[in-house]
Amino acid sequence: MKNRILIVDDSFYMRTMLKNMLTDAGYEVVGEAANGQQALEMASATRPDLITLDVILPDNTGLDVLKGIRLEQPDVKVVMCSAVGQEVIVNEALESGATAYIVKPFSEEKVLEIVGGALQNQDSDSSEA
Amino acid sequence: MKSREEEYREIFMAEALEYYDAMSRHISELEKDPADEKALHELFRLMHNLKANARAMGFNDIGEVAHRMETIFGLIRSKERTFSGSLVSVLFTGVDTLGGMIRAVDQDEEVANADKLLHNLDLLVEGEEPILEEDEGNADEDASRKLELSDLVYIQIKKLDHLLNLVGELIIDRDRILTLSQEIGNPALQAAASHLFRIADDLQYSVMDARLVNVGSLFNKFPRVVRDVAVAERKEVELTINGQDIQIDRNILQIITDALLHLVRNAIGHGLETPEERVRAGKPEQGSLILSAQTERDDVLIQVIDDGKGINVDQVRRKAVERGLVSAEAARNLDPSAVRAFLFEPGFSMAKEVTDISGRGVGLDVVKLAIDSLGGQLRVDSVLGQGTTFTLVLPTSIAVKGALLFELEERSYAIPLMHTDSVVSLQPKQLNVVGGILMARLLGENIPVVDLRKLLHDGDDALIPAIKTELVGRQDIIIVNYNNRKLGLIVDRFLRQQDIVIKPMSKPLDMIDLFGGVTLLGSGQVCLVIDVPALTRLFLAKRP
Repeated sequence: MKNRILIVDDSFYMRTMLKNMLTDAGYEVVGEAANGQQALEMASATRPDLITLDVILPDNTGLDVLKGIRLEQPDVKVVMCSAVGQEVIVNEALESGATAYIVKPFSEEKVLEIVGGALQNQDSDSSEA
Repeated sequence: MKSREEEYREIFMAEALEYYDAMSRHISELEKDPADEKALHELFRLMHNLKANARAMGFNDIGEVAHRMETIFGLIRSKERTFSGSLVSVLFTGVDTLGGMIRAVDQDEEVANADKLLHNLDLLVEGEEPILEEDEGNADEDASRKLELSDLVYIQIKKLDHLLNLVGELIIDRDRILTLSQEIGNPALQAAASHLFRIADDLQYSVMDARLVNVGSLFNKFPRVVRDVAVAERKEVELTINGQDIQIDRNILQIITDALLHLVRNAIGHGLETPEERVRAGKPEQGSLILSAQTERDDVLIQVIDDGKGINVDQVRRKAVERGLVSAEAARNLDPSAVRAFLFEPGFSMAKEVTDISGRGVGLDVVKLAIDSLGGQLRVDSVLGQGTTFTLVLPTSIAVKGALLFELEERSYAIPLMHTDSVVSLQPKQLNVVGGILMARLLGENIPVVDLRKLLHDGDDALIPAIKTELVGRQDIIIVNYNNRKLGLIVDRFLRQQDIVIKPMSKPLDMIDLFGGVTLLGSGQVCLVIDVPALTRLFLAKRP
């Protein structure tokens, strides 16, 4: 089975880039959310293996979304996407249960390395790498 | 061809201009009410996004300004600065400057130097007083500021679907009005009707055109797929992509995505040999895989071509007999293309072992279903030892289909041109009866022919074996083609060729799966659209 990923970012440009990178690498992008409300709804509807979550969103902050998702789905991997300068939020996110983080602007290699790494923990007992 | 870089650039520009508009709005709101936290958060978020996107695009000048603006809005949020005094005019200048920079990038102009602004922003970050010039925030500048909207609009495909449906309705009524105007014979009405005809035609093509995307937007995803599959299968593959700029309806491309993925995986997994096998067969080590698109009349042809081992027809024949799809005797008489058609039967797999990449229980029948649902065709050609070619024949647009209209028992029917091979009129002596089935020999090919009236009416029982003496005079025959199988249908009369808009049938007619839908003719007459795949299957099931 392909790993299923939900992308949460308020920028269409960022979502498009991430989606291309991830689908090219053979992941299935199950949804794209542009705000916190959508993110929570889609996470619960699609039950992804991994969520890429922008730290700054229009309605909630990424942190609130992270906490909301964690309440419902303790096992989903969450990779925070931040830009330079948000180290404080990233730290708090990691403490609140984020799996890893990517710093924007990101390279394809970096994204795949971090997403792959985050999923590896989950798959370590199955045959799929 | 639109490359991925161009696509990213277009999206970046559209979004950046949107961000600029929103920033201008929110900074004015903040000026009116410095306690407006929502506006402040939005400004912070927009700067953040613009910074990240601009840096990803390599527009570092924009990134630098947006970064500092973001920092200052962040400081205002954390109450370390207040939105007042000289800070306000520097931030306004900042927003204006960003707008100018975005426009400059859009028009491939040089981005103006922003050092002074950057310095002022740095001073504000440090908590120092910025250096303002006399005319900063002056009304002159406001007056010369241009208001510009993006040239690009993003639209949900749902809205385009709706538009296309409306156009479909319009075309039906247009044809009706045209017919009525001819019956009434009023010249002014006729002139208006023919004007309406042209305009509706233009409208239809414009809407269809708005939905077209380059095949390249799908093809460009394949180099990566091919590389990964090749590595997993230990094959060496050189991928060639042709015809990326051929245009096709976006929904059609969406529907065939999985089918194409499957065919490509299949070609690498089962079609191409390992480098060692290829060398032994006297071929270059590296296998060739070609993805190509081209237009043929109104259709788009997409091909997946490999130079691998090809399909062993005898093996397929054996397997088809084993699976009980055909009797051993009948199988012997089938020509290679009819045998290869078995590959598209549900659950028919030639894979001996299920590898990781292909053969995951999804067979070619799924590919076939996807293509059928579009009213397209899937063909396979193969030369043993030399390779295999899968051809997808797809309509350019989903809404309007070319169709052949004919009459049977005083009713009109339509057959999509996609499935019609040719139209012939034959004398009875040009037809032979073989095993109870009429056969026509056309261009060196033996084609079964059936009286459509009998096929439609004779219930579930097998067809009564045909007798030549039943045929009187010239027979109008439509040769349809489905899944490499040709079938001649005897009809009463050919009418004409026409573009039709197919509508789904309402209950209880939708129970009859021989018809793919209905269309309304200009006369207001309802015309059933023949579903050629279903009709072919019915003929195979009922043949004597």
